[in-house]
Amino acid sequence: MADHSSKIQTFADQVRAIPGGEHLEMCYSCGTCVSKCMIQQKVEPEYNPRRLLHLVIMDMRDEAFKSPTTWLCSACDLCYPACPQEIHISDVIGAVKQLAVEAGYESPLETVSVNESLCSGCGICVMSCPYEAPHLVEKEVDGLMDRFSEVDPNGCMGCGICVAACPMGAISRPGVSNEEVRAQLDVPRRNGAPRLVAFVCDWCLRADADVTLLDNSPENVQVVHIPCTGRIDPEMALMALGSGVDGVLVCGCAPGECHYQRGTTVSSCKIGLLNRALEQMNMGDGRVRFVQIGTQDRGRIRSEIDHMMDHLVAWKEAV
Amino acid sequence: MVDASRHPKVDVRTFTEVERVEGFVGNFKVQLRQKSRYVYADRCNGCGECADVCPIEVPNYFELSLAPRRAIDVAMSQSVPLVYNVDMDACIECYKCVEACGELDAIHFGMEDQLAWEDIGSIVVATGFDHFDPTVMSEYGYGRFPNVITSIEMERLNNSTGPTGGDLIRPSDGEAPERLAIINCVGSRDKRFNPSCSNFCCMYAIKNAVLLKQTYPDMELSVYYIDIRTPSKGYEEFYNRAREMGIRFIQGRPGLITEDPDTGNLFVESEDRDLGRVIEREYDMVMLNQAAVPQPDVDSVSSVLNITQSPGGWFMEYHPKLRPLDTPTDGVFLAGACQGPKDIPSSVAQGSGAAARAGRVLHADEWEIEPVIAAVWEDRCISAQGKKCGLCVQACPYGAIEYEEGKAPDIITAKCHGCGGCVAECPHNAMTQLHFTDAQILAQMQTLLADKPEQKILAFRCHWCSYGGADLAGVSHFEYSSNERGLRVMCSARLDADFIYEAFRLGAGAVLFSGCHPQDCHYITGQRVGARRAERLLKRFERMGMTPGRFRVEWISAAEGDKYARVINEMQEVLDSMTQEELLEEIEEFRPEMARRARRMRQVPLVEEASDLAKEIAEVQRAREPAAV
Repeated sequence: MADHSSKIQTFADQVRAIPGGEHLEMCYSCGTCVSKCMIQQKVEPEYNPRRLLHLVIMDMRDEAFKSPTTWLCSACDLCYPACPQEIHISDVIGAVKQLAVEAGYESPLETVSVNESLCSGCGICVMSCPYEAPHLVEKEVDGLMDRFSEVDPNGCMGCGICVAACPMGAISRPGVSNEEVRAQLDVPRRNGAPRLVAFVCDWCLRADADVTLLDNSPENVQVVHIPCTGRIDPEMALMALGSGVDGVLVCGCAPGECHYQRGTTVSSCKIGLLNRALEQMNMGDGRVRFVQIGTQDRGRIRSEIDHMMDHLVAWKEAV
Repeated sequence: MVDASRHPKVDVRTFTEVERVEGFVGNFKVQLRQKSRYVYADRCNGCGECADVCPIEVPNYFELSLAPRRAIDVAMSQSVPLVYNVDMDACIECYKCVEACGELDAIHFGMEDQLAWEDIGSIVVATGFDHFDPTVMSEYGYGRFPNVITSIEMERLNNSTGPTGGDLIRPSDGEAPERLAIINCVGSRDKRFNPSCSNFCCMYAIKNAVLLKQTYPDMELSVYYIDIRTPSKGYEEFYNRAREMGIRFIQGRPGLITEDPDTGNLFVESEDRDLGRVIEREYDMVMLNQAAVPQPDVDSVSSVLNITQSPGGWFMEYHPKLRPLDTPTDGVFLAGACQGPKDIPSSVAQGSGAAARAGRVLHADEWEIEPVIAAVWEDRCISAQGKKCGLCVQACPYGAIEYEEGKAPDIITAKCHGCGGCVAECPHNAMTQLHFTDAQILAQMQTLLADKPEQKILAFRCHWCSYGGADLAGVSHFEYSSNERGLRVMCSARLDADFIYEAFRLGAGAVLFSGCHPQDCHYITGQRVGARRAERLLKRFERMGMTPGRFRVEWISAAEGDKYARVINEMQEVLDSMTQEELLEEIEEFRPEMARRARRMRQVPLVEEASDLAKEIAEVQRAREPAAV
């Protein structure tokens, strides 16, 4: 009789042994996860969770470790509730990633960096990160022990939630630093129509038509692309209003569909608080608005912009 | 259907429900509820004048609410018999229909449901299946996007007697669709809803696609699928024909449907597995090919007929290979999709088979049953001595025991299948199972444990599953410990706790209590009766301090030969982990307790007594039921 206990551990066995890595052999390759996922459509054509699962089953360790799927999955879990085999795909990918990191592979993603001269070691970034990437370390500086935040480059997905959360402005993410965002806030004034800045997260628009609508910026609308609305700092909205823009629209994913798990929830709280503060300053006239666009809300961005523009026209007339 | 209703020997009862079933094979008594139509079937001639004057319109159930019907109407134009009925929830009792009916005087609002008992020889269950409601799958937007329809709605839209007269139109704007997607496996092969494959939907999708392509040759038709399953004769050829006609087959289950709010067009996002990337295509209309699910009232039908269900809710056949049309209750047969999703050819084949099986009952003067039935010794039964008991009745999965306080129970032999649950439950040795008497089993145990019992693993196996598992382990050459000694009973329900105590008293090294998995039990709930007892034993031995693993409870199916071998080997390991002295010491330590608990084994009736009893029963049966079956 075959003795199962002495079997050589395969790659699939190793993945299975990590919590969340079980059930991967249940995949029957229907492709639902791929069609739900935004990464293949927006970032990387080679991205394919179904294939990664198959690479694991076929014991193709190096290819799995090199696969963009291993590194790009942000565990948004759009696929999990849709998977007919109830495979928690992001957990399986996480297990593969863990093995890849143990084997010495590194994440190719653009990650945040901490400026230690500004970091106060408060730990807010640790609490805000959905991926547990930052952690506090103690280091000796000029003979004194001090605490700093350090970001695990293999854990960071680059959402920028910590960048917005850091009270010292010590964390930055290339492409969406405060300066880079500020530089985009300049909306050329044309005729008397109101001017609008729209912060749009990279993931909330699925339909090609909606994306092209923003690419050919509608008149008097300045579109600022951000990785996640979690990157939005209320200060950014105030900066925009301060620079003479009439309204600010922030577009993020629907709750539960956020590409970075909780960015949209964080920013909905922030914008809510900002609006309450504006109300107390007698400026609560709906000039800053947060909308959450779900995966099935095709064409909603257009109606939201139109709606906002109408509102601003009415507001201008009233003023 | 019309032919059947006109046949002199066929009595079609529509709008009628089975309320209760009593009796046994060949001699059922069935209570039928003829629901009130508020129209006399013998007077209504189906002219329809009542419906013409009825002012109330309600959604038409048969047309899936795509069209209205009147408060008095027929379910569909092909109804058999063609008798109108009144929807009393909607009727305002304006009596216009009564006026229109005139001299026929067929409508009567005071009508009530009729209950009647009928003598029935055999019963065929053919209650069919229901459709999965895709509203719960939010990703497909059914119920929100008007142009996402189900396959049955498509069936009505594309039917010449349907609400549109056979014109396929989009519900959102009434336009004819030019691009149509069919999505397979909606709710089937899906652990969230129905993990099994619905069997016929692949062919059904191809049929619909071909039908539409024939009617509308310019229509762009795509079928989204996970796998196309065409296992029967001629099916693959039909699939090929569909592809030749230009129907597009896309391997990939769509994850999302979105709607263009301006045009009502739908965008289907799926991975095309052949291209390895996500494609988004625009369609005018999407048809969801939903899963087949059991009827919502399967539980009540199960309990009325005393038949079992497979996981998922389909009615369970007696044996998947050898008796696929029978149920655990003799005289009740299954036909069609109520037993599991199946297409028309299979349903017709099964229906013909079930009719033949049922006919066999009707033509039999005598009905042969398994000889392993249970029997009662009245002089031992405490109930006959005026004490309260009735444990045997609770153990019987078939309702074969009639019990009255103060009397010994009466076993309806035609209903008894011989699991032996009642025999094991009886605390007074007042019951026995012919051919599996306590004395016979005891004699086997004594023989098996005669020599070096401390080295033996005594395995009690049920006839249908774990015995089959052991058999498979043998024919598959899975090696397991040669110290195993097998002992067969019909069902784990027969395994009296006393047998286990007696085995340990006799000095057995280890004892295995094995049977079917709960859903596989051949005797409806027999395994559960045995499992309850086994759980109690496990706890008791644990409290006594027995080495864990010396008594083991395992459910092993006939297909699990490897499991049987593994379990026995693991038990051998437990024995090997103890030294001979330790083991003997433990056996001796528990022997007095086991002897005390198994004391009734000393008083079991002899085998000859049981065979005398069997003769008696046969005589009583002959005298009591001269005309039976």
